[in-house]
Amino acid sequence: MIAVSIPSSVVIEGAILGLNYGLLATGLVLIYRTNRVINFAQGQLGVVAAVFLVKLYYDYGINYWAALAAALLLAAAVGALSELLLRRLFNRPRVMVMVATIGLSQVLFLFTLFPFIRPKKLFRNFPVPVNWSFHIGTFLFSPGEVVTLIVAPIVALGLAAFIRFSPWGLAMRASAENADSARLSGVWVRRTSTVAWTLAGALSAFTAILASPSSQTSTLTEVLSPGLLLLALLAALLGGMVSLPVAFMAGIGVGIVQDLLLWNITNPSTGSAQVELILFVLLQLALLVRAASLQKSSRTAERTSWMTGTVGFRHTGDVLRKRVGTTGVLGVVVVAALLPLVLDVDRSFLMSQICIYGVIALSLTVLTGWAGQVSLGQFGLVAVGADMAAHLGGGIPLILLLPFAGVATGIVSVLVGLTALRIRGLYLAVSTLGFALFMQTSVLATSCWTLPVVHKTICSGLPDPQSTLISRPTLFGLGLTSERAFAWFSLAVLILSILMVRVWRDRGIARRLISVRDNEVAAGSAGIPVVRTKLMAFALSGFMAGYAGVCLAFATERFSTDTFDPTVSILVVSMVVIGGIDSVPGAVLGALYLEGLPAIFGSSTTVEFLTSGFGLLAFILYLPGGMAEVMHRLGDLATAGVVQLRARRSGGSSPGPEPPPTVGIDPATGKLTEAGAVAELRS
Amino acid sequence: MSTDDATTTDDATLTDDGTLTDDATFTDDGREARPSGRKTRGEGPARLDVTDLVVSFGGLRAVDKVTVSIEPGTIVGLIGPNGSGKTTLLDAVSGLVAPEEGSLALDGEDLADYIPEERAALGVVRSFQDCRLYPELTVQDTLMLCEDARNSVSVLSTTLQLPWARRAERDKAKAVDRVIGSFGLERFRHHLTGHLSTGTRRVVDLASIVLAGPRLLLLDEPTAGIAQREAEAFIPLLRQLQEVTGSTILLVEHDVPLVFELCSTVIIMQTGSVVISGSPDVVREDPRALAAYLGASDAALNVTGPARSDAGGAGGAGADPGESRAGDT
Repeated sequence: MIAVSIPSSVVIEGAILGLNYGLLATGLVLIYRTNRVINFAQGQLGVVAAVFLVKLYYDYGINYWAALAAALLLAAAVGALSELLLRRLFNRPRVMVMVATIGLSQVLFLFTLFPFIRPKKLFRNFPVPVNWSFHIGTFLFSPGEVVTLIVAPIVALGLAAFIRFSPWGLAMRASAENADSARLSGVWVRRTSTVAWTLAGALSAFTAILASPSSQTSTLTEVLSPGLLLLALLAALLGGMVSLPVAFMAGIGVGIVQDLLLWNITNPSTGSAQVELILFVLLQLALLVRAASLQKSSRTAERTSWMTGTVGFRHTGDVLRKRVGTTGVLGVVVVAALLPLVLDVDRSFLMSQICIYGVIALSLTVLTGWAGQVSLGQFGLVAVGADMAAHLGGGIPLILLLPFAGVATGIVSVLVGLTALRIRGLYLAVSTLGFALFMQTSVLATSCWTLPVVHKTICSGLPDPQSTLISRPTLFGLGLTSERAFAWFSLAVLILSILMVRVWRDRGIARRLISVRDNEVAAGSAGIPVVRTKLMAFALSGFMAGYAGVCLAFATERFSTDTFDPTVSILVVSMVVIGGIDSVPGAVLGALYLEGLPAIFGSSTTVEFLTSGFGLLAFILYLPGGMAEVMHRLGDLATAGVVQLRARRSGGSSPGPEPPPTVGIDPATGKLTEAGAVAELRS
Repeated sequence: MSTDDATTTDDATLTDDGTLTDDATFTDDGREARPSGRKTRGEGPARLDVTDLVVSFGGLRAVDKVTVSIEPGTIVGLIGPNGSGKTTLLDAVSGLVAPEEGSLALDGEDLADYIPEERAALGVVRSFQDCRLYPELTVQDTLMLCEDARNSVSVLSTTLQLPWARRAERDKAKAVDRVIGSFGLERFRHHLTGHLSTGTRRVVDLASIVLAGPRLLLLDEPTAGIAQREAEAFIPLLRQLQEVTGSTILLVEHDVPLVFELCSTVIIMQTGSVVISGSPDVVREDPRALAAYLGASDAALNVTGPARSDAGGAGGAGADPGESRAGDT
């Protein structure tokens, strides 16, 4: 039970932790103030420098201070370079920029693997310049922590002074408020933005270097873990995403509160889950109170946040074009249905994975692409479905379990969506990310818990959070135990999902969602029930995520809380963005790209980050329509080819020797299908 | 507005002359009183009573004790300088802002408890000044949306494509097809509204008004962003709109001559209060009206309005004489 005590050592320890949150939060606020975007790369910006510092110090034996200066310079350069990269997105929806920072953080992670940055030996103590330490009671504060206590406040104060007293500070605020007006008044908006990112890079380096001594070098990447980022975001939100000092102090407060909670909740098995619960509630409160009031004042940010800038290539009403498209899709379906016959066990399993991820990505297309509700927590919903499979998998036949889990998850999703009635855009993204983390670390991790008043035990979490085993069921008497059978099953689920989403798209659901996303006021005045429509988006999306979760659970057969890490949610967002954010085939293509490519090139975090990080950046920067746009252009080309061919035939000229139908190899680009479509139409 | 925009508008607006009235019947088929509504939807043009209405933003009283009665079937023009509370009054009637004091009544029924969607179901239809519509919906979808509001099909029956869902969708498409035909929007059917010119968007907006079948129509500057020549064409168009939909129209407009030409009652607002209301002839002669808004210039009264050929050489002035001359007083 809870016995409240506040030992000073715990407070100081919490404060040290909190100083790191504070620095991170300050960086987040700095970028938000300049670019109106939540910088998911804030942690990662400095990690490159921190790793480089280790390299210089140990591998080259360079003096600590010189190494530190070099590392800070590197971080500042990384920050400035990042800004130059993101500058192309200057006029794009903020949400897209946010997703781009996710891609950026993944690319930055890859930088730490470069041989000239990565130290030869990992697992070494992070260098610390001084050797001071002190005791409080039995608790020893290490030199690294002492340095944090001294340096972090100085850095924060210096930054605050720079913003306050230099003209850059005002310029930053002006350009955030109204970039166009600021430019016309003579503010160099883009240069201001570069300065902010340079500062943010250096700040992030301080964070990483100060936070690292308490851990080993190999865990440096923890700086970007969603848990840490969320706590920093909580602090930044408490500062209204504007005030650097408040954000910094709030960061310290969050650290102290977190450590005190951990100290006072004595039960070690459920303790951290309860702390997570409290922090989750705090985050949601901060969002609902602070962000909702913020949004009212900054209308511009909200206005631009969901003009996705679709290219508008989809509706042409051309019959031939439609036929080419349909033929292509049918070709893909036939090929996909035949694939399990030739694939080995591993590849069949991969195919199931891709299909299920396709369904999850589709659920996000409905929610984010159409309804404009940005969710970074879709895997929290998938987890609900998987959890239900773990509990009910043996008892209920699969054919009933799928819709049942779907409906139940839909209800959970609506509850998550209630926050969306008050907050939107970037804030909703933070809220949903918090939900995903909460699902993983609190709900799933607690097998059973007791209701406080009635003392009734409820087992809602995973039966074994470390490793839950379930066996695949039968469907209509057919066993799904073989990977081949399961691949067909997953493909069937995916095809049914696509058909369902297409009905939603073409028969009246999508237009309601888009109308509320595009112009809430007008939709309301036209008689579209705004609140119900928003919640409907969450319900539909949750429904799909729920049954996809059941499928995923049965596909993997063994899973733990780590299976539902919030970073996977971010991966799903990447799929949807790479595929084309509001495109049905795009979601599936995105899943194919992000799940399929790593398998081809060997599955590892490196390859995963390589494909998703570079893929995200490349698509956002150069092909905003995503893979769907590429596919569509290929379809247009194929149609043009067909038209030409027909003209030539009717013109009486001899058909001539037909070129052999080229069969593309790479299904990820869709080339195979379109070539196949042309070939079929020719015959 | 570029010449290119102007041409596209021509195509769309001017073809509907005459055809609009032919289709007068279609607004009635399929339009049933919404079963779930608390108050059943009445028939014919509605009466609006605004009593002592106060709307404040912080310390600013945007609408200050406004009392207005609008008779069924009339076209009422609301004019006044920028910031006089005209749009806010419309917002209050359509339910987008909550009044601080006073009441709004549609046919004697208090509207206080109705959210915008419910007011729409009662037949209060609103067009917006920016006419942004839904940038990423096609024209066809935008119009289908109006039908959705009236004839909503549940998600489940849509997903399963049950017979009635299919039939409802077919009926909606038919109604939309007719409106698209009569407004000459066929070639824009699959265009995203965000890609259309302002003029064409206004036509789409008018088409959706016809589909919505209003009883009380609130128009916020329907001629904003439209060239002078087309603004003139708006007078018969709005008259037709009233006949076809059988609605009461409350019109906020900066084009003073258009208002005087079109409306049976003119209300002038200034800093949140009604300065004067009455028939155009009365208001035109009233010195308070001139002082409040019209810039004491006869020329300003005569820019639009083909009927008033005695207007002289003022035709070259901008479409917003009141706007540009308000500061002269």
